[in-house]
Amino acid sequence: MYTMGIDIGSASSKAVILKDGRDIICDAVIQAGTGTSGPDRVMEEIYSKSGISPDDIKRTVATGYGRFSVETADRQVSEITCHAKGISFLIPGAHTILDIGGQDVKAIAIDDKGSVRNFYMNDKCAAGTGRFIEVMSRILEVDISEMGDWDEKSKENVVVSSTCTVFAESEVISLLSQKKNKEDIIRGVHNSVVSRASGLLYRTALEDKVVFTGGVAKNEGVYRSLVRELKRPVYRAEKPQITGAVGAACIAWNDLQQ
Amino acid sequence: MENTKLDQYIKQLAEIADAPGKACYDLKASGKNLVGWVAPYAPEEIVYAAGAIPVGLWGGQVELKKARTYLPPFACSIMQSIMEGEATGVYDILSAVLIPAPCDTLKCFGQKWKGSCPAIPFVHPQNRKLDCAVDFLAGQYEMIRKKLEEILSVEITDEALADAIAVYNDCRYAVREFTEVAADYPQIITPTVRHQILKAAMFMDKKDYTVIIKGITHELRKMKPQEWGGKKVIVTGITLEPTDLLQIFEEFSVAVVGDDLAQESRQFRTDVVYYGSPIRSLAKQWQNHRACSLAFDPYKERVSYLSRLARATKADGVIIALMKFCDPEEYDVPIIMEEMEKEGIPLLTIEIDQQSNSYEQIKTRIQSFVESME
Repeated sequence: MYTMGIDIGSASSKAVILKDGRDIICDAVIQAGTGTSGPDRVMEEIYSKSGISPDDIKRTVATGYGRFSVETADRQVSEITCHAKGISFLIPGAHTILDIGGQDVKAIAIDDKGSVRNFYMNDKCAAGTGRFIEVMSRILEVDISEMGDWDEKSKENVVVSSTCTVFAESEVISLLSQKKNKEDIIRGVHNSVVSRASGLLYRTALEDKVVFTGGVAKNEGVYRSLVRELKRPVYRAEKPQITGAVGAACIAWNDLQQ
Repeated sequence: MENTKLDQYIKQLAEIADAPGKACYDLKASGKNLVGWVAPYAPEEIVYAAGAIPVGLWGGQVELKKARTYLPPFACSIMQSIMEGEATGVYDILSAVLIPAPCDTLKCFGQKWKGSCPAIPFVHPQNRKLDCAVDFLAGQYEMIRKKLEEILSVEITDEALADAIAVYNDCRYAVREFTEVAADYPQIITPTVRHQILKAAMFMDKKDYTVIIKGITHELRKMKPQEWGGKKVIVTGITLEPTDLLQIFEEFSVAVVGDDLAQESRQFRTDVVYYGSPIRSLAKQWQNHRACSLAFDPYKERVSYLSRLARATKADGVIIALMKFCDPEEYDVPIIMEEMEKEGIPLLTIEIDQQSNSYEQIKTRIQSFVESME
């Protein structure tokens, strides 16, 4: 029996098909989020990739910022609950999740069953989010997918403030005009994201295992900075962008069992 | 069960709460002088004893244009909105305005009123428990009395003050009774309705308001409470509005069964007890005021008050409605978090920003909070 999880975020759309609540049959990611063609395109892609017909999907749960705009969904569940379920499914034993997406940062403490114990979200501010890194990559003229590689080459410590994207942007411009190395500025950007996120993480009990998820978890520079900050192993799912959709598909399966 | 009388009472208060400007113009048209008081606390009884109607100024959802000239961007959200109102003539209908100073922003705010009516800034002493705190505040209240007498050309007698105190104590009792009874009727007294009922008190003659709120409680009591399938919460903070935000509570079946909001229950929690003279009695009320972020309290009674309130009302959790850039409230948040964790009471913080009308993030927080309690 197939269930589907759809995660419509602010920057991307993700879909996952789960078989019998156990096997991930197919996943699809489109880099366009709510209010764009992304949600439609991700549905088209997952059906064509998997060869599964919409009629075979027994239940669909939608999550993410655009969850209420998914007409085919049977139920909407918040992304916090879905990430918790998804991570618990993918990485058993996880108790702390850091999710950095396009516009939200969330620190979530979960129990052994993947239920949320408590969570903390960022303020209404782009600092420390995926959008923050995106803005910086544009000024630095470095493709966002290459930011991690640049970060690895850094030798000098450069501080970029973590309070405001707009201020940080002008800070980075002035660092560039001071002829600071791009790789050092990039590490500064990544450290700034982690400094903001760790403020939320430290509010949780920070129990092991700690898992880093969301689109930004793909950035090796941010990941390494997080490990340096927490001084403990940090786990990542193989495809960190789809964990919310995986959780939604698991919840759809659990719904069918009741 | 239908209850036309109850619906009428609620509608009457909801209309006032939703359009306070109109309510004020109606009062003015009936021949009453209006005296504003800036949030959070002021001795309304002195205004009432002068034959005027006290009107609470708590900001609102406004776009800022002129306020930016006078306030830094990180001044609290309510003050920003009130400043915009001052500078754009919203408060020109008032005869005077009382401005308290329980926080740094208000201290400076009282010194730069931009409205057309006279401002009367005053200070609540923070060393509240000393005897001289009552002496000091009584002095401040005498100053307010004298200035109002001059502005309104009336004499404010001790007898009128004593009568006003009786009217207000009666009202406080009626509101406390309402909030207790309303908790059993979340289907009728939704978060929006509850807020409207309590907010209307700021724009009415308290005598008229008390009659209606007593009527609501009376009508509710006639009805059989129904089982509530959703979650029940206590809300704490300065304010919890506007309606768009409260509707998110309703969307996820979250009932408000008690509150510790400065704009709502904190206004009605502390009676004015007799203490020598009417003015000294009013001053004594500040000494008796408890469990409030804006009143110095080294024991932080607010924290245990919240857990007691949550248990007494059988609430599933507590929601902090954190006023953006309100320092006294922000300092309390980590202390409340620690206590709720210890007590095993689920806690959520949402941000109240009068300059924003986007609630998606709050929606996610509330939905996640409800899901985490299931």
